[in-house]
Amino acid sequence: MDFPSSLHPTLFMTGPLGLSNVPDMSFMCSWRDALTLPENSQNGVPRLATGLLWEPETPGPLPLLPPGPDPWDPGVTAQDLLFRGGFSFRRKPQAVLDVTEQLSRFLWDHGDIAFAPLGKLMLENFKLEGAGSRSKKKTVVSVKRLLQDLGGHQPWGCPWAFLSFRQRRFSILGGPVLGKSVASLLGELLHEELAMRWEQLLLDDAFTGGALAWVPGKTPQVGQLVYPAGGALDKLYFQEVNLTPDGDPQALGDPGHIQLRGPVRQVVTCTVQGESLLAVRSDYHCALWKVSKQGHPAPLQVLQVGKGATGISLSPHLPGELAVCSRSGAVCLWTPQDGLQQVYKDPETLVFWDPSPWRWADFTAHPRVLTVGDRTGVKMIDTKGPPGCGLLLFRGGAEASCQKGERVLLTQYLGKCGPEPLLPTVHLICTQFSLYLVDERLPLVPMLKWDHGLPSAPLWAQLQPPPRPGHPQPLLLGGQGGHLQLLHLAGEGASVPRLAGPPQSLPSSSDSLSAFPLLEPRSQWRLQERLKAPTIGLAATIPSSASEPVLSLFQLSAAGDVFYQRLRLQAEPRHHSRAPTASWTPQATACCSRWLKTLLEVPPTPPVWAAPTFSNRCLLTQVEPSKVEQKVPEGLRAAMAEGRLLQQRDLGSLPSAEPPPAPEPGPENELSARLEAAWEGQVAAWWEKQQGRSSGPRKPPKRHKRRTQLSNTFSSLSGRLDLSDATSPPHSPDRTSSEARPQPLVTPPSQELTQELWAQGVPSERQQTLRDYMAKLPVQGDAPGEVSSSLSQTATPSWQQTLQGGATQLPPRRNPPRGAALPSSQTSSFQATPSRQQTPVLSGSQRHRKKPRMGF
Amino acid sequence: MSDFSEELVRSKTEDEQEESCMFSGTGMSFPWLQKHIETVATGGKKEKDFAQTTSACLSFIQEALLKHQWQQAAEYMHSYFQILEDSDSYKRQAAPEIIWKLGSEILFYHPKSNMETFNTFADRMKNIGVMNYLKISLQHALYLLHHGMFEDANRNLSHAETWRYGEKSASQEVLINLIQAYKGLLQYYTWSKNKMELSRLDKEDYAYNTAFQNMLNHSGKMSVNLCTLIQTPGVWDPFVKSYVEMLEFYGDRDEAREVLTNYAYDEKFPSNPNAHIYLYNFLKREKAPREKLISVLKILYQIVPSHKLMLEFHRLLRKSDKEDHRKLALEVLFGVLDFAGCTKNITAWKYLAKYLRQTLMENHLAWVQEEWNSRKNWWPGFHFSFFWAKTNWKEDKALACEKALVAGILLGKGCRYFRYISKQDDQVIKKKIKRIKKSVKKYSIANPGL
Repeated sequence: MDFPSSLHPTLFMTGPLGLSNVPDMSFMCSWRDALTLPENSQNGVPRLATGLLWEPETPGPLPLLPPGPDPWDPGVTAQDLLFRGGFSFRRKPQAVLDVTEQLSRFLWDHGDIAFAPLGKLMLENFKLEGAGSRSKKKTVVSVKRLLQDLGGHQPWGCPWAFLSFRQRRFSILGGPVLGKSVASLLGELLHEELAMRWEQLLLDDAFTGGALAWVPGKTPQVGQLVYPAGGALDKLYFQEVNLTPDGDPQALGDPGHIQLRGPVRQVVTCTVQGESLLAVRSDYHCALWKVSKQGHPAPLQVLQVGKGATGISLSPHLPGELAVCSRSGAVCLWTPQDGLQQVYKDPETLVFWDPSPWRWADFTAHPRVLTVGDRTGVKMIDTKGPPGCGLLLFRGGAEASCQKGERVLLTQYLGKCGPEPLLPTVHLICTQFSLYLVDERLPLVPMLKWDHGLPSAPLWAQLQPPPRPGHPQPLLLGGQGGHLQLLHLAGEGASVPRLAGPPQSLPSSSDSLSAFPLLEPRSQWRLQERLKAPTIGLAATIPSSASEPVLSLFQLSAAGDVFYQRLRLQAEPRHHSRAPTASWTPQATACCSRWLKTLLEVPPTPPVWAAPTFSNRCLLTQVEPSKVEQKVPEGLRAAMAEGRLLQQRDLGSLPSAEPPPAPEPGPENELSARLEAAWEGQVAAWWEKQQGRSSGPRKPPKRHKRRTQLSNTFSSLSGRLDLSDATSPPHSPDRTSSEARPQPLVTPPSQELTQELWAQGVPSERQQTLRDYMAKLPVQGDAPGEVSSSLSQTATPSWQQTLQGGATQLPPRRNPPRGAALPSSQTSSFQATPSRQQTPVLSGSQRHRKKPRMGF
Repeated sequence: MSDFSEELVRSKTEDEQEESCMFSGTGMSFPWLQKHIETVATGGKKEKDFAQTTSACLSFIQEALLKHQWQQAAEYMHSYFQILEDSDSYKRQAAPEIIWKLGSEILFYHPKSNMETFNTFADRMKNIGVMNYLKISLQHALYLLHHGMFEDANRNLSHAETWRYGEKSASQEVLINLIQAYKGLLQYYTWSKNKMELSRLDKEDYAYNTAFQNMLNHSGKMSVNLCTLIQTPGVWDPFVKSYVEMLEFYGDRDEAREVLTNYAYDEKFPSNPNAHIYLYNFLKREKAPREKLISVLKILYQIVPSHKLMLEFHRLLRKSDKEDHRKLALEVLFGVLDFAGCTKNITAWKYLAKYLRQTLMENHLAWVQEEWNSRKNWWPGFHFSFFWAKTNWKEDKALACEKALVAGILLGKGCRYFRYISKQDDQVIKKKIKRIKKSVKKYSIANPGL
C-alpha cells in the first residue's frame, strides 16, 4: 500500500489534555485542511471545489413509514432532575440534582411503601384495629385514634395545624427512626439513581453506532432497512425499500419482524465476500444473522454478555467474524468456527482514569489486529501477539491537541466502505468537540482534525463510497439530537486525507415542522415532541446506477419513526452566493399530513408519572361513601383517574347548583361540542362523527398501564416486569445495576411479605430502589453471606455462549407477508437465563470505585 | 484598540476559561450541558442583553457557514464585529480569534471575495489583539502560498519573524520556528528554480556563476531557517525533504545523513514511516551496503509491514547469504499479504509462490510452517475462499494462478481455491496450470493424511 509521500507539518507534543502553553496546531479553520503546499515552485496547486455541495431536495426529512401503534413518551428531562431555582451567588448556573424534592414527593405519594417495612418492624408498638390488647405500655400507640386525629389531613407545612397529644407522642417516638432510616437509605439510592439518569440525559451511549442499518439487495435500488421499533424497541423490523431514481423511496409491503427479549441498541451490517451479515446488540445479548440474497435473515448465533455489551462490529475481511466488547473491559473476537476468543481485557481505561465502562472495538486493515477504544483513547491490539500489548492509535492528550474534558465518543474504521475502500488504513475518532482522522500506520498524529461543533453527542458516522470516480467521499456525522453534518473527504492512495470542501449541515427532523398543517396547541406540541425525539440510528446509501448521484439518508428516532431525505450532488460549482433553498412539494406535505393523521389516532401517551390516589383512611376501615352522593364522586374519580378535563356530565345532574344564565346548551351546539372534543384531543374523531361516519366506540385510555409505561423507557431487559412472578427476580432496570446486584437465591421472606403491600400500583422504576432498600433491612439476615459467595466467582469468564446453532428449530412466530420465514426463535435464545441459580452471579455487589489516577 | 495589560493578565489565567466547557462529575465536559441547565435555572447571574445578542449572532454565522450561505454569513459577520466593544474583558479578548476563524472562512469561500479582500482582512486582524499576530501571519502566508503568491508570502513571513511581544514564551518560540521554516521552504522553492535554470546553462557560461552564487545565497539562509524547527518533535516531511535535497546538492552528505537519522530515530518524534523511507532512499542513492539498507527497512517493516517498499526489502533479503535474512524474506511476504489493501498485489503473490518453492526446495519446511501456523485459521477464509477463487479468476487470471499455487502448497490440492482454478478449462494458460499442479504435488506442505 502507498503511504503519503509527504505529510502535513505538525507539531508533536506529549502530555495531558488541555495543555495550554503550546500553540494548538489545529487552531486554524476548516480551510486549513484544504491548503496544500506546492511540491515545488513549478507545480500548480489543485483548486478547491468550493461549490461542492449535497443539496437536500426538501427543507427537512420526511417520514418513510406510518407511525407505530405504541404511544411514545420523551422520558425525563432536565426539569425533572435538576434543582429549580439556581444560586444567586454563582457566576454560572450549575446543575444541582434535586434529591429533596424527589424524596419528599416519594414519601408523600408512596408513604405506604416508604414506611410499611418500618411499620412492620414496629408492629408491637402499634395497636391496630381489632387487636384487643389491653397493654398498659406507654410505647403502644393506637393507630385508629392516631388516624382519627389526623383526619386524613396532614399538617405538613402548616404551622397552625392542630397536634393532638397522641400525635406528638408518636412523632417523638417514631420521628428519629422513621426520618433517619428512610432518608438515609432511600436518599442515597435515590441520589445514585438521579445521578445516573442525569448522566444518561447528558450522554446516552447505549445507542452508539446506531440502531439502523441498510442491507443492500439484489439491485442497487432495492434494499432493506433493519431497525428496532415498538414501545420497548424490542422488535427488529425488516422493511424492504425501493429507491426510485427520481421519486421518493417507497416501502415495499409490510415489514417482517422478529420479537426479541430486550431493547435493540445497535444494528450493524456488512457484506463480505458477497455474504450479507447482520449483527444486533442488545443490552446483555448479541446476535448474528445471515441475510440471504432474497433478503431473508437466518439466525446464526446468539451470545450472552454477562456484564452488558457496549459495542459490536462486523469484520470487513472475514465473513461472520465479530468483535464484541463488554462493560467489564473485555474485548472478544468471535468466529463461527472457533467460537469466542478473548483478545483483550482491562477494566482500567487506556490513557488516564475515567469512570465510564464504555468500550468499543473495531477492525483494522489487518484482519488480526483490532482497535480497542474507551473514553480516553484507542489502542491497536494484535490478537496473535501476547495479551495486553499494542500501540496506542489515539491518545486523549496533547498529541491531538485535545481540550480539557474531551472524551472519545465514537471510533470507526473507515476501510469498511465498499469492497475496495479508498481509505483502507484510516480510522475516524469523534469526541464531543472534534473529529479526527488517524492513519493506523502513523499512530497518535491525527491526519485531520476538524471541530464539528455539533450541539449533541456525535454517535453515528457513515462513510459512503465516492458518488463518481475521483469525487470526494461523503462522510456523514450524526448527533443524538438529530443534527447531521456532511464532510467531503478526499485523498486516496498516496495522498493525505483532507477535506475537499467546507463541511455542510443537513436538515434534521425538527426542520420538517413546516411541512405539517397547523394544529391546535395540544396536538402541535405532540407533533413537535415527536419530531424532536432523539435520533438513535443513521443509514445512507448512494444507488450507483443513477445518472445523477443521489444520496438517500435514513434516520431512526427513539420514537421508532424512520425519516428519510434525499440529497443531490450539485453538478456545477455555483457562482452565486446564496445557496438555493428547497421548498416543500405538494407530495411532501401530503405525505406529512397522512403521517400526522395516523399519529394523532394513536392515543396520546399518558403522563409518565401520576400521583396515586392515596388515603390513609382506607388502611383501617373502609369508609362507605353515602349512597346519595355516590354518583358524583364516581364520575369525578373517573375523570381524575383518566386525567381528563372534568366535565359537566361527570358530575351528573347537580341538583342544587343554580345553572348559570347561559345560552341554551342544546344538542345542536356544535361549537361547544367541538371545543370539548378539541380539549380532549379528539377533533378528528369528532369531525368524522360529524361527517356521519361511525367512528366506533372510543377506547378508554388504559389506566393500569401507566405505571409500567415508564419502565419501557429504561428497562434494560424487557419492558414489562411481572411482579407477581416472585421466583424470578426481575433484572435490575437501571444501568448502575447492570453490574447485577446480588439477588438472593431464594426470595427472602421479607420480600414475599412485602410483595402484596407494594405490588399494586408501584411504578416499576422504583421497585428496584425499594428492593434494594428493603434488602438492607435487618430481616434479611442471611443475604450477605451469599453475596460474598457469589462475589468469589467473579473470576469465571463473563462470556457464555448459549444455544449454539440450535436456534433454528423453534416454529416461527409470525410470518411476514412475503412468506419469508423469519424465525422468532431468537425469543428463546435471547432469553436472559432467568434463574441466576444456574449461572453464577458475575459481579460484585458494589461498584468498584477506582482511585483516581489523574483527574482531568 | 486593545488593552495590552489586560491581555497579559489573560494569558496567565487562561485556565479559568469555563465558557463553553461545563463539566460533569466524571470530568467529561459537555458542550450541550448549558442548554439543559438553561431550561431549569431561573436564578443566577443573567447574561446581559448584549451578550445574548452576540451569542445568537455567532450561532447564526456558524449555521450559515454550514449551509454554505456565504452571503448571509458575511452579513451577520458585519454585525458581529460589535463584540470587540464588549465590556466583558474575557469575551473581548477571545473575540479576535473567533472573528479570524469565521471571517477567514467566509472570505475563503465567498464567491465575490478576492485575494485583496482577504489580505486586507488578515492585515487588520493581525493587529487586533497582540496574541494572534503570529498565528494569523502564518495562516495568511499559507493562504498566499496556496494561491501561488510566493513573494507576498515571503514578505509576510519576514515581518512575522521579527515580531516580538513581551517575554518570549514557549508557544511563541514554536510559532516563530514554524514561520522561519516556512520561510525556508519558500527559499527552497526559489533555490530549486535556480537549480533548474542552472542545469540548462553551460558551466563555462558567465551566467552560470551568478546563478550558482544566487543559489548558494538562498541555501545558506534556508539551512538556518530550517535547522531549528526540524529539531523540534513533529512531522516535518516537506522541510526535511527540501533541506536534505539542498545538502545533497552541495555534497554535505554527513549533515544530510545526520538530519535524516535524527528524524527517523529520535524517540521524541512520532514514528513517522516517511522518516525511514527518506533515510532509506538517501542511503540507496548513496549506494550504502546492503546490510545498512536492510537494517533501515527492518525498522520500517516493524512500523508499516504493508508498505510497498517491503517487496524491495524482500528482494534484498532474498539475495542475502545469511540464513536469518532469508527466513525474514519469507516473513515479510506473508506480512504484506496479511493486509486487506494488499490482497490483490500480484507481485507479492508471485514472489510468495516463487519463494515458497525455493524455501521448500532448500528444505526449510520449518520456516514455512512457522509462518503458516499463525495464519492457517484465517488465511483460507481471507484469501482462498470459493468467492475469491471465482472473483479472482474473473478479474485477473494471472493473479488467480499465483494464488492457486500458494493455496495448493499451503493447503494441499484439496483446497477449494486450488480445485476451482485447476478445473478451469482455459486454453491460454493450460500449460501454466499444469505446471502449478506439478509444483503443488511436489511441494505441498499439507499432510494428506489430515
